Amino acid sequence: MTMRKILVVDDESDICDFVKNFLQERGYQVLTALNGEDAITIAKAEKPELILLDIKMKGMDGIAALKHLREINGNQKVIMVTALDDQDKMDEASRMGACDYVTKPLMLDYLEHTVEKNLKERA
Amino acid sequence: MTANKKAPSWSKLHDWFVTNFSAHENGNGTASSGQHQQPLSHPVFTDLASPKTDYQTFLENASRTMIRFKKPEHLIKMIVKTIDEQLKVTHTAVLLYKEEKKSYILIDSKGSEGLKIPVGFIRLSVDNPLISVFSEKQSYLITETGILRYEDVIAALRSRDILERQSDLYDRLLLIKRQMDLLKASLCIPCYFKRDLLGILVLGEKITGESFTRQETGFFVTLANDAAMAIANAQLIENLHSKVEEIKGLYLREHRIFIHTSIALAAAIDARDPYTHGHTERVTNYCLAVAKELDGLPEIGNYRNFRETLQISALLHDIGKIGIPDHILNKHSRLTPEEYEEIKKHSIIGATILNPIKELGDVAKEIRAHQECYDGSGYPDGLKGNAIPLVARIIAVADAFDAMTTNRAYRKAKTAEEGVQELKRCSGTQFDPVIVSAFLLAYEKGNILTNGKNLYFNGNGSAF
Repeated sequence: MTMRKILVVDDESDICDFVKNFLQERGYQVLTALNGEDAITIAKAEKPELILLDIKMKGMDGIAALKHLREINGNQKVIMVTALDDQDKMDEASRMGACDYVTKPLMLDYLEHTVEKNLKERA
Repeated sequence: MTANKKAPSWSKLHDWFVTNFSAHENGNGTASSGQHQQPLSHPVFTDLASPKTDYQTFLENASRTMIRFKKPEHLIKMIVKTIDEQLKVTHTAVLLYKEEKKSYILIDSKGSEGLKIPVGFIRLSVDNPLISVFSEKQSYLITETGILRYEDVIAALRSRDILERQSDLYDRLLLIKRQMDLLKASLCIPCYFKRDLLGILVLGEKITGESFTRQETGFFVTLANDAAMAIANAQLIENLHSKVEEIKGLYLREHRIFIHTSIALAAAIDARDPYTHGHTERVTNYCLAVAKELDGLPEIGNYRNFRETLQISALLHDIGKIGIPDHILNKHSRLTPEEYEEIKKHSIIGATILNPIKELGDVAKEIRAHQECYDGSGYPDGLKGNAIPLVARIIAVADAFDAMTTNRAYRKAKTAEEGVQELKRCSGTQFDPVIVSAFLLAYEKGNILTNGKNLYFNGNGSAF
């Protein structure tokens, strides 16, 4: 069985590093992108099974990136990462086809669980 | 053993440490042996006979500077930084309870790439097994120092006794292990204030892979208690600040009501006499404009709240006119000497009206004296010079200026310039020269507006 590939998109490198390390230890192959543009390029080339996408980013925000990513691959699984009080954005992301979300500050076990759950569900 | 017993109070630790430490300084290396008998069964440094280490120096400094950290975050940052620099662990993180989020939030972290947990990125809910270990009394899981060690959890999970006879505990241990795995935590040190778990200090492994020494764990416990103290203090101060703000708000509200009541009263007085319409408003504005020029006058220090006394006194200075019969007050020709004697009573009547209001003691005194003259020729008491209270001397000037510059039944108004000349002429006799010169300054600056609305009268309290 090949390692499942996850792309982590966040404009804070600390978060990318931490999540990458966290998921790698759980047996995933992890790619990171620090902005929406890079995320799109990497998604095209690498076709990750799952993308963890931060909503609030400098430049292209998560919602705009989500739109492009879903255009590239209509079945792309994307989990949005968002602040606790960002309900409007979350609703918008869900309408645009995001499959799930986690709220910051997040609970690590919930992150782990959400990633596993969404990878199990075949598109 | 209860949770808070495991977290000895700062003062105890501090006393212990200082005693122990000064013994070292006296060259008495064995002093610490006596500490074994202390009711505080704490292994911190008890077996320490070596010269003071960097930790000790740090602790010493920390205890001295603790009090200076107004924001506990600064202390916590210092603690995390020190641990990171001195102990060479893979990562360090501090989770603090945040009331508004009802969970423990990561507020500072250091460590190597990928292990440093981004600040604000994670939280632990209050029912997280790792939090429950400390917030509930699961004493079995914690060492006597209050620290939760990963290796102890693993050892307990390997115990056949627990596996076979204490399945509840076994399950809980598994949950705790899992939480520690998520955080890659090797040690968790609780931070208590009284019985409340304020936060947790999380440490990864030592980079060398060695276990933590007792000296090191003791250091953490002391740090955690220092931090708890600082956090609790900061929270108390914050609560105090919000209480003060609340009281301030109440005071301002009452104050506004009071000023508005005074304005309403003043308007009622003005309304009785069409010739003096707007008189109170103008006098109040002049008074406050003059007061601006009196900044730094030592006499102001005699007032508990000078501007307030001035504003209210000015608003109410003619309140005694309520007691003057209409036929005298509204007379369109010159007053007879008898009628003038009646009019003169208004300052006494005003003071009498306000006297029962304890809070307005100052104001009553000022209103009684607002017709006194600087040379002692005024009424009702013939006070002279600085025996006339300051506010009354200010009102006297403002009142006279307005009387001169507005029409009366028996004479036309003077111009503002003529009024000013008249004030100058009477400076030192009728009026206090200090007040007259302040009035002139305000006049030259354009702050004496004979017909304009002025911001001082709006009563919203902004004039203070």
